[in-house]
Amino acid sequence: MKIEVLRRMALYFSLAILVASCSRQDGGQTALPGRSVVVGIEGDVDSFNPLFAQDVTAGEINDLFFPGLMCARFDQKTGSLEYSPSLAKSWEFENGNKDVRFHLRTDVSWSDGVPVTAKDVRLTYELYGDTTVASVRQPSVGELRRSSSGSIDIGQAVEVLNDSTLFFHFDHPYPGQLFDAGLPILPAHVFEKFPRSSLRESSMTRHLPASGSFYLKTWKPLEEIVLGSNSASRLPRPAKLPQLVFRVIPDYHSRLAQLRTGEIDVLPYINAEDAMEIMKSVSEIMIVPMGERFYDAINWNNIDPSEYASSQGKHILPHPLFGSSNVRRALTLAINRKEIVESYLHSYGRECVGPISPIFQWAFNDTLTPHPFDPEGAMKLLAMEGWSDTDNDGILDKAGREFAFTLMVPAGNQLRSTIAAVVQHQLRTIKIDMKIEQVERSVFWDKVIQKKFDACIAGFSIPLQIQMDELWGGDLERSLMNIPSFRNKRVDEILHGAKRILRNSDYAGTWKEFQVILHKEQPCTFLYWLNDLVAVNKRVKGAHVGLLGVTHRAEEWYVADAAASASNGAR
Amino acid sequence: MIAFIQRRIFSASLLLGGMLTLIFFAAHLTPGDPVNVFLSPNVPQNVANELRHQFGLDQNIVLQFGQWVRNALTGNLGISFAYRRPVLEVIAAVLPNTAVLAITAIVFELVLGLFFAAVAVRRHNSIVDTMIRNAALVVSTQPTFWVGLLLLAMFSFAFGLLPSSQMHSLGAESFSFGANLFDVGKHLVLPACTIAIPGSGAICLYFRQSLLKVRREEYMTYAHSVGLSNWALFVYYELPNALPPVISILGLEIGTLLSGAIVTETLFAWPGMGRLTVLALSARDYPLIMGCTLVSGVFVVVANMIADLLYGTVDPRVRMT
Repeated sequence: MKIEVLRRMALYFSLAILVASCSRQDGGQTALPGRSVVVGIEGDVDSFNPLFAQDVTAGEINDLFFPGLMCARFDQKTGSLEYSPSLAKSWEFENGNKDVRFHLRTDVSWSDGVPVTAKDVRLTYELYGDTTVASVRQPSVGELRRSSSGSIDIGQAVEVLNDSTLFFHFDHPYPGQLFDAGLPILPAHVFEKFPRSSLRESSMTRHLPASGSFYLKTWKPLEEIVLGSNSASRLPRPAKLPQLVFRVIPDYHSRLAQLRTGEIDVLPYINAEDAMEIMKSVSEIMIVPMGERFYDAINWNNIDPSEYASSQGKHILPHPLFGSSNVRRALTLAINRKEIVESYLHSYGRECVGPISPIFQWAFNDTLTPHPFDPEGAMKLLAMEGWSDTDNDGILDKAGREFAFTLMVPAGNQLRSTIAAVVQHQLRTIKIDMKIEQVERSVFWDKVIQKKFDACIAGFSIPLQIQMDELWGGDLERSLMNIPSFRNKRVDEILHGAKRILRNSDYAGTWKEFQVILHKEQPCTFLYWLNDLVAVNKRVKGAHVGLLGVTHRAEEWYVADAAASASNGAR
Repeated sequence: MIAFIQRRIFSASLLLGGMLTLIFFAAHLTPGDPVNVFLSPNVPQNVANELRHQFGLDQNIVLQFGQWVRNALTGNLGISFAYRRPVLEVIAAVLPNTAVLAITAIVFELVLGLFFAAVAVRRHNSIVDTMIRNAALVVSTQPTFWVGLLLLAMFSFAFGLLPSSQMHSLGAESFSFGANLFDVGKHLVLPACTIAIPGSGAICLYFRQSLLKVRREEYMTYAHSVGLSNWALFVYYELPNALPPVISILGLEIGTLLSGAIVTETLFAWPGMGRLTVLALSARDYPLIMGCTLVSGVFVVVANMIADLLYGTVDPRVRMT
């Protein structure tokens, strides 16, 4: 009897598996409303709270939940940000442009029905500026008016006149005032209930009312994030899509395969090689370049790391290898960057001559040409600096020291690892011995901040407002992102002056001079500007993928053939 | 039996304690600052210091360990740096997913492994036996990621029969209970098979060998001679006597699988313990690393203890000493 029961159970089990296996699946989205769009992402977002969100996708999602006072748009013709009304219906500069008066809309509510007022703006900025909160956006409030003690006092800097009028008082006028006043605005009536020191740990983040076109419908960790259309939104309007889904698929090749099968509609950050292949073979998918906001560079440590560490930053000596600009220039000449771009980035990258992106047309110095690939010229420069192979061991040496060093590469980035290998080979031809060390990300940044490296490959994502202080400021204690530890008096003057100008155009010539200095000094070898690529299924209409992100203005996205897709049961 | 369990629990507690101490100090002494993972390096140092304070990283490492032990003994495993939620809550959210995957994989593995071993033994020294033996050897040596990629390419991308990733279809929350179950089942087939196929090869080889050994025993000759049917012989004599080695393997495997099948979970985007552990490690999320280690350790220990108990039940000659 028992045996019979066991046999039957085994039979039913096998049948169930067979039935499950043989049903034609449609990308696992049988019940998906035809008008939803799926974005494939590599990992979970780090936070649904703009105070703490650091990764790119989290930032974009939070922008859809919590619009700021203004809506930004990047004008490709002028190469600068333009602002249009959002929560603020208008604004005017006063007091010699040090103050901005904002007039808020009175018809905007959070999704829980509470009106959005100037109080929300002030509390939000208090949270951004509060050290206890430890918001990642604290630097954005650094230029607001300070109290007599020198500390930031948001109570004074963001002055509320009434529910719909407020002032932003800045320390001085500068081109990024509206940029800094445009951070996401949070619901004060929710945040004021929680102690500030515990906001990072508070689970309320997942249930925040939104004012933007979307709200957080569901979040399954490690699985998916579903945004629903916020029907109450007036900033600017409820989303056309009923839901926008972010599916977490850690494996790149699985994401790519799902893009091809139609399980994913939008796939950010695909390799240039895959993009070329997709364009040839999959007619339903288009490839959209996001614009040149990202560059990679080989940073030569301009200072002696051991001296810097032993004196705790008090004594700064030139690096025994990279302390001379002639040597750094020689290294740049020895690296064939043109070939790297052509071989690995195809048409989606270009040689980089400096840290100011070509998108900033007004400031980009187009008279500078990339240093050519010239190994012989490199050898001559090195010889001028006293480097020669005196012991005939195939490695240059000078005063008993061989030209040998280690290039640190952050682990997990295939492109950088490949380029490191190419650079190693090319430097070997001019008798330089370079070793490659792959380092896990947090260890990498630890070493970079403490200057404990000889050379490293690092990438930089640039903001849409030129901000060079943190990257090139000579005060190494403050400018932690000055990875090569480059110090130049004129550059410091330029960076200081950039904070005191009113309009971008006033400083165009100075920024061009800045690029000339870096081009000559070569504190690092600028490799390429990377045009990040996004694959978008053509059924998704109204997408504005570009410099402002993948899901920027996602409220305008819609699916063209929703009815057809739904009835066919195919995507 | 009770004394045996008590002794095992005691030794397992010592083992777990030692392991957690080791992991705690190893994780904290590994280079890399967790704050660098959660804050961009260009964020001012005072913000970074405040975050270090909130994470409790500004304390002496021994004090941090003492604090962790005190809290853990009261069931508080701390707050995950990455998720900003209690560690137990984070683990509880994914543990059932891993359990579903692990148990299904084990069931597949057992069914396939035992079935083919039984067939091979029945046709001992025939071409069927040779084919099964060789096939089992081949599949048991295949790396999981390779099996997974093959299954994906075949059943998901080429024929479109099964979903390629995740645990649910989009919009599954609106499904009926039955439809939801079916949906999870569909998503489960490929990852479970990915784990089960190599495992079933190993089980098949072990079980086949064990069965052959049992068949050569004198009591089997006697049982044959009294006229028992083949089925009765298999169920009442061969199976119980040939199972102990398989139970030992399963004991080890189920504990490991419940700790998370990292490769399979990553390949199929299955939201389980394996991926959570990887995330915790890469984010230097110390509380989550400790939580995952504790849970994994408990599973391995408990699974082995159950295996020992089963071993004794199946083979009464083994005393619980």
